[in-house]
Amino acid sequence: MPIKLLAASRRRPGLTRADYQRYLEFVHGTIARRERLKIASYVQNHVIDGAFGVLDDDTHQQLAERDAVVELSFDSFRDMLSTLEPAEPSAASVDGKFFADERNNIIVMVEEEEIPVPTPMATYNPGLGLVEGVGALKVLQYIMRDESVYPEDYLKYWREAHEEALEKVPYAREQLRRCVLNKRCRANDNDAAARKHFKMVNPPVYDAVAFHWYDTIEQAGAFRQYNEALKSYSKKKFANWSKSFFLYTKEIVVVRDTPKA
Amino acid sequence: MTVNSTEYTVQKNYGDWYASTAIKAGQPPLTPEEEARPFAKYYYDEIPQPDPAHMAMMDKPCDPAKALYPEQMNDLLNPGDLDTEIGWCNLANGAGFIANKIVYPDVTAEMIDWWFAWHPVEDLRYRIWYPPQHAGIMLSPEGRARLMDETIPWSERNWGVTHHVTENCNCGMDNVTISFKSPKDFGFDMSRWKRPNVATFAGGQGWAVSVDKTDESITAPAMMCHIFRETEAGLEHRTRFWMGYRLSNGKPELTLPPGVAVPPVAVQGLARHNVCEFTRFKTFLPRIYKEFGGRMVV
Repeated sequence: MPIKLLAASRRRPGLTRADYQRYLEFVHGTIARRERLKIASYVQNHVIDGAFGVLDDDTHQQLAERDAVVELSFDSFRDMLSTLEPAEPSAASVDGKFFADERNNIIVMVEEEEIPVPTPMATYNPGLGLVEGVGALKVLQYIMRDESVYPEDYLKYWREAHEEALEKVPYAREQLRRCVLNKRCRANDNDAAARKHFKMVNPPVYDAVAFHWYDTIEQAGAFRQYNEALKSYSKKKFANWSKSFFLYTKEIVVVRDTPKA
Repeated sequence: MTVNSTEYTVQKNYGDWYASTAIKAGQPPLTPEEEARPFAKYYYDEIPQPDPAHMAMMDKPCDPAKALYPEQMNDLLNPGDLDTEIGWCNLANGAGFIANKIVYPDVTAEMIDWWFAWHPVEDLRYRIWYPPQHAGIMLSPEGRARLMDETIPWSERNWGVTHHVTENCNCGMDNVTISFKSPKDFGFDMSRWKRPNVATFAGGQGWAVSVDKTDESITAPAMMCHIFRETEAGLEHRTRFWMGYRLSNGKPELTLPPGVAVPPVAVQGLARHNVCEFTRFKTFLPRIYKEFGGRMVV
């Protein structure tokens, strides 16, 4: 089963978000195309906006800025390791310092689970309705597990909360085109080398990152309503919302092969 | 049965359980509450020593060319024996391989199914299995609810349940999470899943890390397979471990960095531990089943 690395980063000091995103797409992305190694697919999610924590927090309980999240997919765990830790440092591995504040990266190794959605295709425009499960607005929701909850129960509770939230919010139910739950893999525990490389100190651990696709930025309100319903799920406490965040992003595909017929 | 019974009141939340494992790892004496449990007497049993000839087969690695890879697990459903039924080694790809076989004249498949559902509910139930090296166990609230659900057949009770175990497999105390699977989810060919090929099964995906975990500690995956079949001599228990593998959507996947091998001392340590803990089964399981079998609450 494919494994995927999610790396959320913010720009290095002295760069604007535009500087950072331009470098990420046109320099770093180009390096990855030229030196693909065993990357199966590579997607950049450029941040448009986002929110960190909840309104009840007096102050932020986490680093409240992210400028992009990159997704690197591999056919196997060994492909991932041989790409990220090549015998000789790759051009991509030494390029990060030119645009990212690397010690504040959040890295999560995940496996995807496709969560069925009620309305995967827009109905109001035949042109938009040609393809299921796509959308110009991609929301990335990093949800931190409450430390009292067992990891195996956390995923179950998220699913229950998600289904209930969609039930409560018809707008989101109608507009959500695709949902993927990215579940943290235990192999992620062995990331000492990555932490050392990036000089990361106690990076936050996220057991799940949910991706939501909507047609356009105009449907961001649907996600906000959904998110409020998700947070109000009261049957089981499962998340630390003060340390969770979501990002509205634009997806930039760097490497993705056309599926074989 | 009420939620005030010990089977429920021992539940800890994740953070509290994790913090408690350092204490459990010291294998403290039983608490007064544990001493009062009717099965506490088993903690003080004299533990039977393994057959020396059997244990000697774990002294040196076996021939890797005769080992079974996890992708070949369905060979365990063939009649007869495989090339290696007792032994351990590193496979050519660096993974650790363990095989063990023990025949239990007085044990049934029903006893096995009951035991794997009964023992995770309390530390003491796990400790009495093999007191020298078993330190404690915990379930999540959802896992506990499933194991206590009497509408689920014993043979299926553990499917999807994660046991959070603290034990020493001869390399120091580890916290091991074992996510039990149905044989189908483990990867077996269910069209061949029938007697006499198989009587029952307990297995899943494990991840082990030292109780004294640091940033540098390795969290090690292993696929664990206990498969049982009936023979004229009794219930035959065949164990296989594939260390360094994880189950990925029902398929085994090697999760070692290229060029890295599971340390032989860890493979041999688990192999020896396995012989010891299941030697104990031979007489212990029929006795405790006679006293408490067929029910969860004591």
